[in-house]
Amino acid sequence: MNEVASPVARIRLVILGMALVAGGMVVQLIRVQFGPYAPVFKDLGSSAVGRPERIVPDRGLIYDRNGKLLAANATMYFLEVELRQLTPESSQAIPQAISTLLSLDPKGIQAQLSRDYAAEGQLRIRLTRPDSDGKTWPISIDEPTAGVIKGFMGTDTGLDLSGLSLVPVPKRIYPTGSLLGHVLGIVNQEGKGFFGIEGFYDEWLSGKPITIERPLIPPEARLQPDPPAGVNLVLSIDVNVQQMVETALENEIQTSQAESGQVIVMDPRTGEIWAMASYPTLDPEEYEPWLQKEQAKEAVISPAASGQYEPGSTFKVVVMAGALDAGVVEPDDVYIDTGEIEVGGNVIRNWDGNAWGPQTMAGCMQHSLNVCLAYVGSQKLGAGLFYGYMNAFGIGQLTGTDLAGEVQGSLRTPRNADWTESDLGTNSFGQGVSVTPVQLLAAVGAVANRGVMVQPHLVREVVGPQGVYWPKTTVLGKPITPETAEVLTEMLAQSLEDETSYASVPGYRLAGKTGTAQIPGDYGYDPKLTIASFIGWGPIPDPQFVVYVRIDKPQNSPWGSVVAAPVFQEVVQRLVVMMNIPPDPVRMELAGGG
Amino acid sequence: MRNWHKQAFRQAPWRVEMRSAGGTMLGLTALLIIGGMYLTVSSKVAQAGRQLMTLEVRRQELLQGNADLHANLAELTTPERLLERARSLGFKPAGPNEIEYIEVEGYAPQPAFVAPRPLGSLEPGSTGLSPAFTETLGAWLSRLFGGDGDRQ
Repeated sequence: MNEVASPVARIRLVILGMALVAGGMVVQLIRVQFGPYAPVFKDLGSSAVGRPERIVPDRGLIYDRNGKLLAANATMYFLEVELRQLTPESSQAIPQAISTLLSLDPKGIQAQLSRDYAAEGQLRIRLTRPDSDGKTWPISIDEPTAGVIKGFMGTDTGLDLSGLSLVPVPKRIYPTGSLLGHVLGIVNQEGKGFFGIEGFYDEWLSGKPITIERPLIPPEARLQPDPPAGVNLVLSIDVNVQQMVETALENEIQTSQAESGQVIVMDPRTGEIWAMASYPTLDPEEYEPWLQKEQAKEAVISPAASGQYEPGSTFKVVVMAGALDAGVVEPDDVYIDTGEIEVGGNVIRNWDGNAWGPQTMAGCMQHSLNVCLAYVGSQKLGAGLFYGYMNAFGIGQLTGTDLAGEVQGSLRTPRNADWTESDLGTNSFGQGVSVTPVQLLAAVGAVANRGVMVQPHLVREVVGPQGVYWPKTTVLGKPITPETAEVLTEMLAQSLEDETSYASVPGYRLAGKTGTAQIPGDYGYDPKLTIASFIGWGPIPDPQFVVYVRIDKPQNSPWGSVVAAPVFQEVVQRLVVMMNIPPDPVRMELAGGG
Repeated sequence: MRNWHKQAFRQAPWRVEMRSAGGTMLGLTALLIIGGMYLTVSSKVAQAGRQLMTLEVRRQELLQGNADLHANLAELTTPERLLERARSLGFKPAGPNEIEYIEVEGYAPQPAFVAPRPLGSLEPGSTGLSPAFTETLGAWLSRLFGGDGDRQ
């Protein structure tokens, strides 16, 4: 006969069983909470609720002074394939569809899909296309093309595209194309700006990315904060003036078969740059070839602020300004030009090698006499005053303009160990000294602006989350007095009027100076090639613009008066209309209250 | 008093059962009500959450679409295109001699262009929230009984 367990024993047995289960649960809880796999369990738990996501704000927009959009944001898509989701049908259909849509070789895509990625531990691949050099680049498509592919993927078209996905990535676009490319700079695929405005204001434009916990289940959904946005910028550039200037420059480059060139238009009163054209033009969306150039990238991408060169005769404006301001010469002082002068053992000759005889200072400037200016620099000013004025005009110093990668040029002074007295002679007519276009523009701008030198700049308005900020005009210094500026302007205006100038514009009194600079090389100056330039301003007596023209290595003529001055003339003829500047008689009538 | 209760239960034992059943029913009903309320609130939260997620995606799409449209518009109105169009219509750029300047009394030049503020920096409107989240009990009561329907 079986002995039946007493009820108490059975109850104890059940309690023991339950206690064991409960104990096991407690042990497991402790293991999950504090054991070696605790972080893994923690991740598993949190991944079910949400996932961390980095939100990058849209890059700030860039406008011209009239509100024309110059840099904006769009979406481009990379084509990716999730290999585990590929089917035999989709392995055929994906290459076929993409090659048809993008005019690519289907075999190339087929080969990418049929590789044994599992052996490499890859589960997802980004489709690529080869370029003309055989390098492969990710296939990127624009919004309309992506729309077509999405249409195939989303509807019952009978096309099996399983495994294919479109991965959106932000892309910087420039609606005006290559217009202003050198000014705007570039933005790479990671959204970082380089060169020009994009480089200089990169931190401001890009905003601050934030990381949020993106909930996966609806009850946990919360209104997500927007990341602090990048600022929007309004440039002082006028795209219509820019277009006109670029056309004038391109025409001259083609006519003179020159290598490159630049034109910059600035308001000398405020330093606002209205146009800044460089040739060859740069399309910021197709910047890769520019990064492969042999020259310094900054110099070719931002030539206005980073491309230093020996200015030649345009520099005489700065030297004569110093001499007049110091009182060592007067406009009517006569210098007898014998055709050569020796300074520090170096013989300096005129551009034509001739002796020009008795010349006033105005004549020296009008005929651009190297000998006369070397005399003024070395014998009238002397090294102390000469380099003092160069320093006051900011030569060899940064202007602080808002373009990334500005360089300071180079100027040897008596403080430098390698300076010799002959430097003083050559510097006096613009040789042996290197400047950037914005540096020269700022220095000559001081003559146009009654002796006040302002900082050239491109941004006139910054619109951020806190509101609107208008940068103020920055005065870099007052290197000369207003009287000196007026006298020199008058001298140069007179010289333009006296000469049959290619730079004059009927109805407007203008002042300016040509430049024909030799190009230094490893073995001295190039005997043939020059940099032809012109810098002028007007209308006198209240200049509202300074126009700088530089043509590199023209083939039809080496002279600034032949190659660069006509560009100045063409630009000014349109500029006065676009800037609403009436001819001199009308302005005088209005000023007189008539 | 206590004896009276005992006698009553002895005479009618169903009273005890009724009391137990009543208590249980009461407990169950309370549980059901609480459960129902919890379910209702949870489903509303889930529904709102789902709607929020959908709207966020939609907002992102609209912002992107808007940005694309702006860019397209800018591309269509580049100076090069406009010049081409003007030329095709027979226009040409005016020279300095072809312009007549006249003095206009009281003319004010166009104000400088001001760029829009960046999108991410715009303050969300307070009207998006239900008054239940923002108004006090007193304000709610006064609105209920005072008939103040103009609350902003």
